[in-house]
Amino acid sequence: MTDILFTNARLIDPSRNLDGIGYLMVADGLITEAELGTPSQCDLSKITQIIECGGACLAPGLIDMRVQSADPGNEHLEDLTILLKAAVSGGITSVVALPDATPVIDDASMIDSLTLRATRIGAAKLYLYGAATKKLRGKAMAELGMMADVGAVGFSNGSRTIMDAMVMRRLLAYSGMLDKPFIQHCEDHKLTAAGEMNESETSTRLGLIGAPSIAEAIIIDRDIHLVRLTGARYHAAHISTRAAVESIRRAKAEGLPITADTAPPYFLLNELAVSTYDTAFKLSPPLRSEDDRKAIIEALADGTIDAIASDHVPVDGDAKAQPFGPSQPGASGIDTLLALTLSLVHQNKLTLLRAMELLSLAPARILNLDGGGLIPGTAADLVMFDPESSWIVRGADFVSNSRITPFEGLPVQGRVRATWIAGAAVFNAAGFSQ
Amino acid sequence: MPKASDAVQLSRRHLLGIEGLNPLEIMALIDRGDMFADLVQANDPGMHAFSDVLRGKTIINLFFENSTRTRVSFELAAKHLGGSVLNINVAGSSVKKGETLLDTATTLNAMHPHILVVRHNCSGAAQLLSQHVDAAVINAGDGRHEHPTQALLDALTIKRRIGRIQGLKIAICGDIANSRVARSNIHLLATLGAEIRLVCPTTLLPAAIDQMGVETFTNLEHGIEGADIVMMLRLQTERMEGTETPSQREYFSLFGLDRAKLMRAAPNALIMHPGPMNRGVEIDSATADDVEKSLIRTQVEIGVAARMACLETLSAGLLRQNA
Repeated sequence: MTDILFTNARLIDPSRNLDGIGYLMVADGLITEAELGTPSQCDLSKITQIIECGGACLAPGLIDMRVQSADPGNEHLEDLTILLKAAVSGGITSVVALPDATPVIDDASMIDSLTLRATRIGAAKLYLYGAATKKLRGKAMAELGMMADVGAVGFSNGSRTIMDAMVMRRLLAYSGMLDKPFIQHCEDHKLTAAGEMNESETSTRLGLIGAPSIAEAIIIDRDIHLVRLTGARYHAAHISTRAAVESIRRAKAEGLPITADTAPPYFLLNELAVSTYDTAFKLSPPLRSEDDRKAIIEALADGTIDAIASDHVPVDGDAKAQPFGPSQPGASGIDTLLALTLSLVHQNKLTLLRAMELLSLAPARILNLDGGGLIPGTAADLVMFDPESSWIVRGADFVSNSRITPFEGLPVQGRVRATWIAGAAVFNAAGFSQ
Repeated sequence: MPKASDAVQLSRRHLLGIEGLNPLEIMALIDRGDMFADLVQANDPGMHAFSDVLRGKTIINLFFENSTRTRVSFELAAKHLGGSVLNINVAGSSVKKGETLLDTATTLNAMHPHILVVRHNCSGAAQLLSQHVDAAVINAGDGRHEHPTQALLDALTIKRRIGRIQGLKIAICGDIANSRVARSNIHLLATLGAEIRLVCPTTLLPAAIDQMGVETFTNLEHGIEGADIVMMLRLQTERMEGTETPSQREYFSLFGLDRAKLMRAAPNALIMHPGPMNRGVEIDSATADDVEKSLIRTQVEIGVAARMACLETLSAGLLRQNA
């Protein structure tokens, strides 16, 4: 195993609130030292590789806690190998995938076999949510205990909300017993049944059927009561509305074990983007109002929203080459997560430390995973990036096979130079040599 | 020589539940059952002294739910005491509403039975019936509420094997939410000074049950740690809506008792189960059939004696009332 010394690196460690020029040493895949300043000479005897970072950021690898994998079931869209390689090219060292696969990941043996396959790929680590209900039908509880035994990091009904409050109560009671968080997509499907976009003046002008934004908060409010009843850990996924933010803020103030994430479209875009009927903007949840977008940014800054996930969904081009209404929601996200999040740093909405906390430490804590810090003794899952380097988002250039993005043509800043998992380089950007 | 005139005196006409009985009444019933168990097991000629206890009395077994062991146990107990037993099986689905229950009660009352042994799928059914008949009513299980004779026979089984209830660590494991056996046992064993732990998935744990003086666990191994008695309950799928537990195999892996998990209990721990058992769901066969540790067959045997004590007691109560 190579022992590596990174020098002249801007260390970003949200777990220690550390941001400054320093050095980091890796031995046998583990971080052995990470401190500001320069290493003393006597430490260098065993080092086989020295990487001069030139002031580039060195941070814990990103943990993307909401990713849709097309594999198994729709490998032609994007197989697991491509997904996990795209992840490391985006600085993501751990991917947490939803159970919405074909077949549904509602059985321990599927978690076992997918996890094993992922280890053979040698790119990002793969973690899985177990399906909360059998076939994601929202009725019969899946074998949560057996899935937890083989490493399910939490339970989720994927892109479908548990609509039945009794089922939800029992799922929370049961997942709480197993000490795993429940990850909810928050949407009252009865309210949004025919909805094509966010309900607003824009939907009226465009003649698209509106889905009211309160469909999100209605579910969160119900679930908050159930969390109070059961004491279980609950995570609201891809939050997009001010009403949801306010509910979560109140629940947190009360001390309930509730966390939340959002995704870049909800802090960078609003519903006006739909005006061209471009189906790249058909997302779930739908793009919201400007007021909602501002509320999401405030919530990211004040800690109401804990994490940012890519919400990566590989969508078939044919499913998007349709009128807006019937087109399939979702877009690629894994290639752009870091740069899009950094845009909030460049806009002075977040500090770089806070941004990295949202992308690594917070998901690690919510899901009880390793990572999120530059702590000696932990795995050297690292990303090196240049926060200023600019580029233009082009779906055609993505490593992922899913090239539909609502950010096509957007200039962004922040480029990944290299990614390491357990001290092994798994990605090097073109022009960067170690 | 035990005599029929030594029958236990109860402060009430019916036996509807353990809750409300005082420790002296409970102990008296257990001691009386203990005496009957000695006689029955030894096939003792002393039994003849009791063959007239229920002579000329009619005992009706009125079962709105299917049962083999409880019904036969009551029938045998009544026959040992010389009573005339009538079995009415109304387990069919047509008779399930409160109104019909009262109609049945009125009809039966007109036939002047002395003791009615009632099982019903609705909690409180035995009590409702008791308010509308002249007979003494024994609750042989009402919904999720109580099954007092099961708790008495369980306590008697423990007492005959260990000699005491006071201070024992007793783990009641399984479908607590739907179990009348659990509730009756909690009342009885707590009244007699046992330390009670409940072990079940959170989805089968009824609200605020810790208010009944028990400690609750969601991990079987932790819950039975050092326990003297491990009492397993059946997963009552007929009372479930289907989302409490994901599957039988997951239930067994988390909450099923096998030899490995039983190692966590006290070295001489005994296993009990009110039956019927679902082998491979809440208990594996090797554990259920372990002659050293399993009291499951003894429970059935002792049941007859415990019910003799109950029938005798209520019959004596009727005598006093009529005198």
